[in-house]
Amino acid sequence: MPLDDLLRQHPALWRAREQGGAGSAPPGLPTGFAALDRCLPGGGWPQQGLVEILTDRHGIGELSLLMPALATLCRGAEVPGSTGGWLAWVAPPYQPYAPALSAAGIDVRRVLVVRASLPAEWAMEQALRSEACSAVLGWANPSDLTVLRRLQLAAEQARCLAVLFRPAKAGEHPSPAVLRIELQGSPAGLQARIVKSRGGRPVCVQLGHLGAPWQAGPQPLQRAQFARS
Amino acid sequence: MVSLTRRRVPPAFRLPPVANEAAASAARRTVAAAASRELWLALHLPNVILESLRPAAAPQAEAASVAVVDLEHDGKVVCACDETAAAAGVTPGMALNSALALLPGLQTLPRNPLREHALLDAVAQLGIRFTPRVSLEPPDAVLLEVRGSLRLFGGARALCEQVREQLQASGITGVLALTPTPLASLWFARAGQQVALRRVDQLASRLAPLPLVVTRWPERSVQLLVTMGVRNLGGCQRLPRDGFSRRFEPRLLAMLDRASGRVPDPRVAFRARERFVARRDLEPELADTQRLEDASLPLLDELCTFLRLRGRGVQTVEWRFVHRHAPDTQLRLRFVEPVGAAQRIAHVFHERLARLELPEPVRAVRLASGPLVELPQPATELFVADRRESGSAVPQLVERLRARLGAEAVHGLCLVPEHRPESAWRARYRWSDPPVTASPKPTDPAAGTLRPLWLLAEPQSLSGGAQPRYQGTLELEEGPECIESGWWDGKDIARDYYIARNPAGVRLWVFRERPRKGRVAGGWFLHGVFG
Repeated sequence: MPLDDLLRQHPALWRAREQGGAGSAPPGLPTGFAALDRCLPGGGWPQQGLVEILTDRHGIGELSLLMPALATLCRGAEVPGSTGGWLAWVAPPYQPYAPALSAAGIDVRRVLVVRASLPAEWAMEQALRSEACSAVLGWANPSDLTVLRRLQLAAEQARCLAVLFRPAKAGEHPSPAVLRIELQGSPAGLQARIVKSRGGRPVCVQLGHLGAPWQAGPQPLQRAQFARS
Repeated sequence: MVSLTRRRVPPAFRLPPVANEAAASAARRTVAAAASRELWLALHLPNVILESLRPAAAPQAEAASVAVVDLEHDGKVVCACDETAAAAGVTPGMALNSALALLPGLQTLPRNPLREHALLDAVAQLGIRFTPRVSLEPPDAVLLEVRGSLRLFGGARALCEQVREQLQASGITGVLALTPTPLASLWFARAGQQVALRRVDQLASRLAPLPLVVTRWPERSVQLLVTMGVRNLGGCQRLPRDGFSRRFEPRLLAMLDRASGRVPDPRVAFRARERFVARRDLEPELADTQRLEDASLPLLDELCTFLRLRGRGVQTVEWRFVHRHAPDTQLRLRFVEPVGAAQRIAHVFHERLARLELPEPVRAVRLASGPLVELPQPATELFVADRRESGSAVPQLVERLRARLGAEAVHGLCLVPEHRPESAWRARYRWSDPPVTASPKPTDPAAGTLRPLWLLAEPQSLSGGAQPRYQGTLELEEGPECIESGWWDGKDIARDYYIARNPAGVRLWVFRERPRKGRVAGGWFLHGVFG
């Protein structure tokens, strides 16, 4: 038997150049961006464990990056026999805008917004532990590593998409998260740098302008004018 | 006196001649046949005023005679009195001074309508053992529809005996009358005639001799009828229908028709109101919330056993902690859906109690349930794959978050078909699980246009005049999209929306006020972030 086959059979071994393949990583949730899917072990967002998105600015496309995956989770709700549930937004920086969410294919009736002032991590952990949600998005910057570990543990057990948005500076510190992606916006588009990926390797992906990826092509602007008569 | 007669009596009440007599009689027959499927037992309580006050009157009941005074006439008129007082000549309606002159040792009590109603409620509770269809007839009667219960209780006679026994056991005087219509039963009972009639066609003739007082019609109408020479119901029935209805209220004629089974008489069903109330005294007084919680949980178990036996749930629960001096501390728990499980209530209780500040140590704990409601019983599946599918865990999550963060902190979203961006959505605080099947989307006025994923609570003014800046000079990418709407509710807007991008790559939704009459084109505002 060739050595190559023997190595391949061993479950504890993985090859750095075989990323996104059918390695030991459990299948992920497709991100909707082929370039990103190729770089992630499991071929998508990990559904066990915490995902950290590191960005300083809101509006560079950090939410658009998640929209296709969230829409997939929502569509799962319509198919009987699949897991499809609620999306929890814990301590978002602005108001999630329902018409845009709806346009992105998200069922707004299954969105839960939690305006947690101080214990955002606590609310996020509760949402993860309740097994009620199929995705939990949180905006917080826990400085304590124990809090992060608790979140990671809850996310590991919850079998749902758990995303924590943190400032870019947090990337300097270690974190137990499964996947850490640093996002940077530029006039050329969005750049995603995978800082840490369990079962993968650090890599940089150019994503271009995400704009509205759920829309097929450029939409003609419509004029909605209701002048008073 | 119960008399079951089967003799057919020709109806004394004749309809006025109408064009189509055959059709009218056919209609009458069908109505009569339908009404006879019901049998109403009226329980008239002639001494309700006195009996409702009995616990208060009891200590001296044997010693002195009792009279109850009405509150409406400054407590100067006797409205009810017991037998010894009546034997001395005291009658209801008599001035209190005259009564006292007759009987100097008369004990007087103020009337209490609340207790009267409670007594009526107790009688209705008693009636529920005999039939599910019980109806209150305030102030002093209860109606039971017993047609379906006759066989179970061994016939009308046996049933009436049992009801009477129950009433006697509770110390309540009652007059019973059984007829096919509720109003006729009530009138017979008020007249003190304990009759049992099974046939509708006998009703009119048997009602005829009853005095007009039993109807409790307005004093003026009764007086007018008396001056017309009408002294009983038979007299009313003989009057021309159209004239009667014109001269008196149409309601009176309708009552006559209902009593004789000519028209149906639907009744509001009495629903038993049940609450759970329990109290536990704490021997050493407790100041520590953790130990207080441990001491309170047995009460919660009692509540949940109570709920489980009835298959019901509660949406509100009230805890009350009794202190030695300070006023009681109240803790009210609300749930987004009816709950019946101890664990769930305990979770929320734990969160709330941890944040509670007690002014003093607690001497006693009292737990009261809110109204009992139907507990939704989801169909259980043999192979439950995931709790997420049913969404059953969501209300629990919401309760737990609200217990700690406040009710305002957790909400859902819903779409509103509106052109104004800030009005196109609404936070949803009331909880009801959305249907699993997708409902048709409301028509979205913004369909086909791009909307930002983030919306600012208030539009934020941008600096830079004609060249707006937000972390760098903005470059307009798309637009304008003009939105002008809302003149009808005073919050009208006229804006040109653009999609802009700043040097950092942040896509923004900005607008500029459109120049309108009396206003110049305003500055730039940031309203959303594309995310």
